[in-house]
Amino acid sequence: MNQVALIDLLFRLADDELLVGHRNSEWTGVAPIIEEDIAFSSMAQDEMGHALAYYTILHERLGQAPPDQLAFLREPHEFRNAALTALPRRDWSETIVRQFLYDAAEHVRLECYAQHPFEPLAHVARKIHGEEKYHFLHARTWMTRLAQTDESRQRMQVAIGILWPHALGMFETGQSEQDAPFDEASIMEAWLALITPILVEAGYQVPSSTAIYSRYAAPTPDRIELLAAMQKVYRIDPNAEW
Amino acid sequence: MSVLPLNYYSTVEDDGRSEEEKLLAFEAKINRGEKIEPTDWMPERYRKQVMRMVQNHGNSEIVGALPEREWIPHAPTFKRKLALTAKVQDEVGHAQLLYRVVETLGKPREVIIEELLNGTAKYSNVFNYAPETWADVGVIAWLIDAAAIIRQLLLREGSYGPYSRALKRICYEESFHLKHGYDICVTLALGTSTQREMLQDALNRWWEPILGFFGPPDNDSVHTSELMRWRVKLKTNDAIRQEFLDQYVPKIWELGLTLPDPKLCKDEQTGVWHYTEPDWDEFKRVIQGHGPCNAKRIAVRRMAHEDGEWVRRALAAAEHNESIPVH
Amino acid sequence: MTDTQWLTWEVFHQTQRGAPHIHVGSVHAPDAEMALLMAKEQFARRQACVNLWLVPTHAIYASPYEDADIFEHGTDKSYREAFGYKVRDRVRAANLNDEDKQEDIPEEA
Repeated sequence: MNQVALIDLLFRLADDELLVGHRNSEWTGVAPIIEEDIAFSSMAQDEMGHALAYYTILHERLGQAPPDQLAFLREPHEFRNAALTALPRRDWSETIVRQFLYDAAEHVRLECYAQHPFEPLAHVARKIHGEEKYHFLHARTWMTRLAQTDESRQRMQVAIGILWPHALGMFETGQSEQDAPFDEASIMEAWLALITPILVEAGYQVPSSTAIYSRYAAPTPDRIELLAAMQKVYRIDPNAEW
Repeated sequence: MSVLPLNYYSTVEDDGRSEEEKLLAFEAKINRGEKIEPTDWMPERYRKQVMRMVQNHGNSEIVGALPEREWIPHAPTFKRKLALTAKVQDEVGHAQLLYRVVETLGKPREVIIEELLNGTAKYSNVFNYAPETWADVGVIAWLIDAAAIIRQLLLREGSYGPYSRALKRICYEESFHLKHGYDICVTLALGTSTQREMLQDALNRWWEPILGFFGPPDNDSVHTSELMRWRVKLKTNDAIRQEFLDQYVPKIWELGLTLPDPKLCKDEQTGVWHYTEPDWDEFKRVIQGHGPCNAKRIAVRRMAHEDGEWVRRALAAAEHNESIPVH
Repeated sequence: MTDTQWLTWEVFHQTQRGAPHIHVGSVHAPDAEMALLMAKEQFARRQACVNLWLVPTHAIYASPYEDADIFEHGTDKSYREAFGYKVRDRVRAANLNDEDKQEDIPEEA
């Protein structure tokens, strides 16, 4: 894997984690159950922490700017997140479905990247494996529980329908088309193999819609809105210490 | 012996003692420095007072999370973003612990939440003001949490066991909040002129609500002395306010900041701080629901509660009783 | 049951293998698995943890404080304790090898 491809991959990973962590952190204080509020906030912190770990690699090993600048000073068109991670915080059903689809993907990725020839990435992948294991257990448990009443299953099914094309969009081939040894198509295969039985067993239908790719397209309004909010204070004076 | 519901208030069966004997035994226990546990006999006034106080505290944590959570999306730098999220999360965690304490006194969580939403239960007035800039986040975390710590370290020595235990952990976590807030304030104070101005402006706006945090001066009522005797209250509001001024005004001045009260000074002879009393009529008006953000705070809580209703309904209906094996 | 007024679970926390589980609080949760998900972040997000126990509150059988006197010792029970035995003093006092006067050996704990 050449350096350009590696940088591109790490930006995809970091931006996804930062934006989904940002969205999930918006639940802090208003989740449906007090205990869940706490659990969900921890996971948001974990995700933002993972983003920081990836940006740190980009800075220390791949010649990019320091993490705070990468997060708070890049323009929307420079971000490489999938649209899924920037979707606004709406109903709890969409939040849990996003968490499930996203964490399943991360679960699969981390298993692959733990063997990555680029050691700093492999190291981080191994280090955050435990946190990710809890995230996936959390998401899977919620998916199963919310399939058990007609009302909740219907809400969840609607959310699955809305998010599915964006979830497939997570597996967009990298710009440099050199994602070897772990190409996006096979990561998606493993992801489908992981989530399909869980969805089916819980009583959900797996949609047949196709992917919407967005990583390299013009920034979505969601991404623009999110970054404007996130970078607001830092950009008052990017040279100041905050 | 009979099976007793653990950690739940229950009317202890008539053991033949008169009310007076029970009260004497109860007060003797407190005088010996022992804690009152949920299953102990307690005077109804004690139970109601502790319940009101802890419920108010729990509500203050969960409502107190709201002004700060508005700034989570805007926190500059990774460190601030993570720390602010963790701090707000802690406040929610404190509400969880405190609501459990209220439950030990016989009020279910559903009722606690309902009373918050319909306005019959109160929370700390200070959260009815709006955080307008990033500096407000620092001032709130530093000084309001400092005020809370001073009060809670005292209450930790109070007589009700479950509250005292919860406060141990709460005080520990609040000390992180205070450091996080102090760090933000110091960074702004040492920063650019814009940052300093932002901080001074925040301090000017928050000073009076912060002084009001401790409540109006206690009148010397029989009520107060009973609460002190039962170790529900440990010091008067004014005494706690003095402690706060003594510990924090010098730290604020040390940063080259000013406070918007020309009367503020310490009488070095007596050690007593002089200050302008907050406008207590305004304080009462805000408590009664007419502050700048009362309606907004409750509206957000109500929305969170109503949006989550289908989720709780689904979990309640789902029948699941697997258990994790205990080794 | 329209709200979280489902079961409560008592949470016991273990900091490392081999250490005892210690009661740290309780959570509302509809079942054990959810209780675990909830308890993990409420009670183990700072302190080290290798294991949590979740026990339905109603499963705990507690003795009443009114009966705390059943745990009191009515008579001397020092015969159960190491400190109830002053063996070294007796051996020294007996002074069985008096030509072999020993220096003072410190009393065992």
